[in-house]
Amino acid sequence: MTTTRLAVRILDKRALTASVFSFTLGAIDEAGADVALPAFDVGAHITVATPGGASRSYSLNNDPADRFRYVIAVRRAPDGRGGSASLVDDTAVGDTLFISEPRNTFPLHAASRYLLIAAGIGITPIRAMLRSILAVGISDVHLVYLTRSVEETAFYDELTDPALAEFVTVYHRAEHNGVPFDFWPLVADPGESAADRRIFCCGPEALQDEIRALTMHWRPSAVHFEDFNGVSAFGELTSPFTAVWHPSGQRIAVSTQETLLDALRRENIEVPSSCESGTCGTCRIRLIAGAALHRDVVLDADEREHYLMPCVSRADAASVDAGTADARSTGERAGDAPTGEAAGHASGAEAAGDASGAEAAGDASAAGANELIVGPLDAQER
Amino acid sequence: MARITHLFRYPIKGLSAQPVSRVSLRQGGGFPGDRMFALARPDGLYSETRFVPLPKRQYFMLMKDERLAGLTTHLDVDTLDLTVRVRGNIVLEANLGTPAGILQLRRFYARVLDLPSDALPVFAQQPGYNFSDSAKASRQLMNSLSFINLASVRDLEQRIGRPVDPLRFRANVYLDGLEPWEERRWFGGEFSAGSVQFRGLEETTRCAATEVDPLTARRDIPLPRLLVEHYGDDVLGFFAEILADGELHIGDEVTVAAQPSVGDALRVGGAPRVGTAPRVGDALAEASDIPFPVVR
Repeated sequence: MTTTRLAVRILDKRALTASVFSFTLGAIDEAGADVALPAFDVGAHITVATPGGASRSYSLNNDPADRFRYVIAVRRAPDGRGGSASLVDDTAVGDTLFISEPRNTFPLHAASRYLLIAAGIGITPIRAMLRSILAVGISDVHLVYLTRSVEETAFYDELTDPALAEFVTVYHRAEHNGVPFDFWPLVADPGESAADRRIFCCGPEALQDEIRALTMHWRPSAVHFEDFNGVSAFGELTSPFTAVWHPSGQRIAVSTQETLLDALRRENIEVPSSCESGTCGTCRIRLIAGAALHRDVVLDADEREHYLMPCVSRADAASVDAGTADARSTGERAGDAPTGEAAGHASGAEAAGDASGAEAAGDASAAGANELIVGPLDAQER
Repeated sequence: MARITHLFRYPIKGLSAQPVSRVSLRQGGGFPGDRMFALARPDGLYSETRFVPLPKRQYFMLMKDERLAGLTTHLDVDTLDLTVRVRGNIVLEANLGTPAGILQLRRFYARVLDLPSDALPVFAQQPGYNFSDSAKASRQLMNSLSFINLASVRDLEQRIGRPVDPLRFRANVYLDGLEPWEERRWFGGEFSAGSVQFRGLEETTRCAATEVDPLTARRDIPLPRLLVEHYGDDVLGFFAEILADGELHIGDEVTVAAQPSVGDALRVGGAPRVGTAPRVGDALAEASDIPFPVVR
């Protein structure tokens, strides 16, 4: 959960189209002087706590060199409910909003040539990218901006300025008898490398799917989309975590992009596997400590106390915030247990023991927050 | 009446299915032109000169590399002319019978698979070997055909409430006109299709390759786990070996000989048997490390 603790004032609020509103945000001290805001790079977004209570993320579209302003564009959802409607309807210049610090999951990577693709409100980070690219003297850049009509095109005058004509195509499907824009001539050449040519695309999922399908012959690391990092293909939240390989104590960072099994293999820890989908049971390893999110269909509840299927299962990120409390209560239960059980080596009770206490005691078999201690099966367990 | 509805070969492991309308089969042989080539991982164990059968993860394949499904490939298995298309647009033409064409293929897939700039996939071809997942288990399985009962796929679709493209299972022969899952009762016996006599060898345990939509190249349905949740195991389809030469055509009738009684009601109404009963098809598990060839 992103925290929205930074207080800013709405310094300006204006309509860009009938449904898109630009907000200029800044921090003012008691004397009325501008206060510098946390720095950001092109592509960054902030999360805004809307008056209605919902939090919504918006790309910053102003020049990062301006240390005193954040500018966002908000499209009011047509059904008149939700966070964007609240932000548009329930705020006025002078109001205070609480926002997060900028985060960037869509950074502009260096290349010699760029293709920028935006649809609708997706123009906000792309507009900043275009300016940034042109500012460093790169002229092989093309922006394709898809909107329904002139009236619904935010930044229409700016982007149709004759000075930008050679770089920008604004395409209204309605004016082309509903024929969609033909991207193929622009994406046919995948470039020599990512450093040679890159695509940045921001828009609805259908556009992203289209561009992804049309660039299957590209290097995927050269085709960038507004990042939905952290959501797995199956709609479940995925977070990075640390695995500790018990025999060696080696600490292995597991990113959102890989499975624990992949991460172990990357470190040359051989774990046999077959289905890699949590069904066959081949890759079972020992779970020595830590809160695991079991996603397999092989292990039963008892087995899950001591084993893990690394092809699908991960550390339970949801337990991170609550981790201390959980660990404490489990620790108390362990204390109530019969002595023999509580003292059992690497048992479930010890595994779930109070992390902070065990750390202080230097106990290698207690896991920290968002951490799993795992190891190979014993010979008789295989 | 049970009939063959589709026949496919997959000339390059992990790449597109290619429909055929008829195919000549030889006793003890596999599906001609199926998995004749593969792309091996550049930092892996594949050696052209000291080849040993390897686990499937030594090759680029859909279990790990779903992006492969996003390109439409066609290999003429006679001329070895390969064409790769994106939405109908040609992005590669290469002849895999020439070193230059093979290099073009390797460079192309190095880009698609985002390999480091100095790495190329290894073009794998071994006389008398195909790169099907089951090839590592035994020569007999390597030279078998894979079958799917479309009625079973429809039953799965109904249970999970989502369409399932049968090509996720990348079988050679698709059958229809059977009862859902009835193949699980008779796959271990003999049957005929067209003029060819077959004997079932093993059921197919499914892996994460089936999670990939063959059209969008997105990993979108957790099929192995849905199979387990709905049916108690992760089987869909089977392998069968060719007992006598003959031809298969689309539309050929399929006739099952005497049905063995073993395995009755394995699935329909059967209790889940995860983790208890022996798992048919475990020979395919990479962990088994069965030496090649294990049979004959």
